Amino acid sequence: MKEIIRITLGLTIACLIAGLIMGGVFTATERAKEHNEYLDIRATMTGMLGFNAAHPAPANLRFYSLYRYIIDDKGNKSIGYVLPLRKEKKISYALVIIGLDGKFKGIFDLNISKDKVSKVEERKTALNAVLKPPTIFTYADSTIIAKTGPKLLAYLLPGEFSGFKSIIKVMLALNSKFTITGLEIMEDEEDPGLGAEISQDYFKNQFDDKSLQRIKTLKVVKQPLPADYRKYLEKSKWEKGEFTKAEIDKIRNKYKDHNICALTGATITSKAMTRGIKGMVTKFAYRIRILDNALKQDKAPVAF
Amino acid sequence: MPATTKTNFQLVINGILKENPIFRLALSMCPAVGISTTMMNGLMLGIAVLFVQIFSSCTISLVKDYIHPRIRIPTYTLVIATWVTVIDLTLAALAPVAYKQMGIFIKLIVAFAIITMRLEVFACKNTLWPSFWDGVGMGGGFLFGMLTLGFVRELLGAGQLFGYDVLGFRPLLFFALPVAGFFCVGFLMAAFNYIEIVYNKRKKAVN
Repeated sequence: MKEIIRITLGLTIACLIAGLIMGGVFTATERAKEHNEYLDIRATMTGMLGFNAAHPAPANLRFYSLYRYIIDDKGNKSIGYVLPLRKEKKISYALVIIGLDGKFKGIFDLNISKDKVSKVEERKTALNAVLKPPTIFTYADSTIIAKTGPKLLAYLLPGEFSGFKSIIKVMLALNSKFTITGLEIMEDEEDPGLGAEISQDYFKNQFDDKSLQRIKTLKVVKQPLPADYRKYLEKSKWEKGEFTKAEIDKIRNKYKDHNICALTGATITSKAMTRGIKGMVTKFAYRIRILDNALKQDKAPVAF
Repeated sequence: MPATTKTNFQLVINGILKENPIFRLALSMCPAVGISTTMMNGLMLGIAVLFVQIFSSCTISLVKDYIHPRIRIPTYTLVIATWVTVIDLTLAALAPVAYKQMGIFIKLIVAFAIITMRLEVFACKNTLWPSFWDGVGMGGGFLFGMLTLGFVRELLGAGQLFGYDVLGFRPLLFFALPVAGFFCVGFLMAAFNYIEIVYNKRKKAVN
């Protein structure tokens, strides 16, 4: 009996100590870790817009984040956007509610600052102050609009969908006409050498320059990449002066409506990618038009 | 087993050659088979295991007198889990570039048999300094094994080493699959044993 008590006590104390150590290290490193993740995503986004060490981003590059929520008010569903407004040169955030029919329903100011709005918990608190129960809201997705001054550079869409093994997280860049201008694989758990090749240039760059119309009918074909297309896709392996601008344009026009060539041994992953990206782009194009129309109805002073 | 009589240097060499965790002790075959597809993966995981092994061995050798013998295995697991978490969080905060490469591997280390076994066989019976060197040896042996496997599998499977094209073509994609991992470990184990037999024969002939 005494043994059992000693053992139980020993284990409990060991667990407590371990828990305290882990908790302590977590609290101490949490801010640095989040900051690093934030910087990493910013670097990826800036890279996707075409800026790098050789062409640094202009000083007036701004990212505006929109967060979409599904609002359920006793069975009446509507769409809510948490978005930035510009009032007298200051950015503040508001909730715009749009009915499922696209009609503007209301706008509420949110008590949340720019650096807190990217955190799920802070948004939840701010929304709870405006949407009282029994209204429930669920986070759907977010969009980031990149602008230099008044010019829209790109829509950046973080998104996720199921791949062959588990979820693939991507970041898409669309221009103002919803043509894909960039794709980055943020997270995936596919097989190395097979499904994980989606992050290689020769696969993911195939999605570049696909227009909205083309994406709607995009398919995956089990064909090898034509040699000149493959060379064009592997942009990081180009030698200086290998392609003249005319040649680049020629190859781009030749293949911009080509179907996606599947990865060898990873057809399911290739199809999952195409299906996922198709869904992301078509749904986004539809939704952003509804948002634009609704905002025009209210003439809200949005920051983008 | 009473406290070791080997010198610190002999402990390190022991971990790398005579009692190599992958090829002689046949422990922690899971990462050896699953993750050694490229040399970079092998290097990253090997380094992470080296750190966890050293820290865990040192911790257990310090608290060995306070652990009740019947709960020693859960205690080892707790210590390993704590160290893995601490290393994971610290790396994410301080070295984000390295963390991007190694992040997924560090979380896997909790389940490795080699670390628990080493704590049970060595660290709970020896003082701090020999435990430290044994940790270095075992972790180093694991790293060496992963690099060797990674070398064979990456060269024959992808024609590359550390991502650089060496052969310019892919000989057999078979080597990137886990099946090949089993085969490679088996063959390398046989090679290790053969080298040991030849070495012992030569030693006997000299004596």
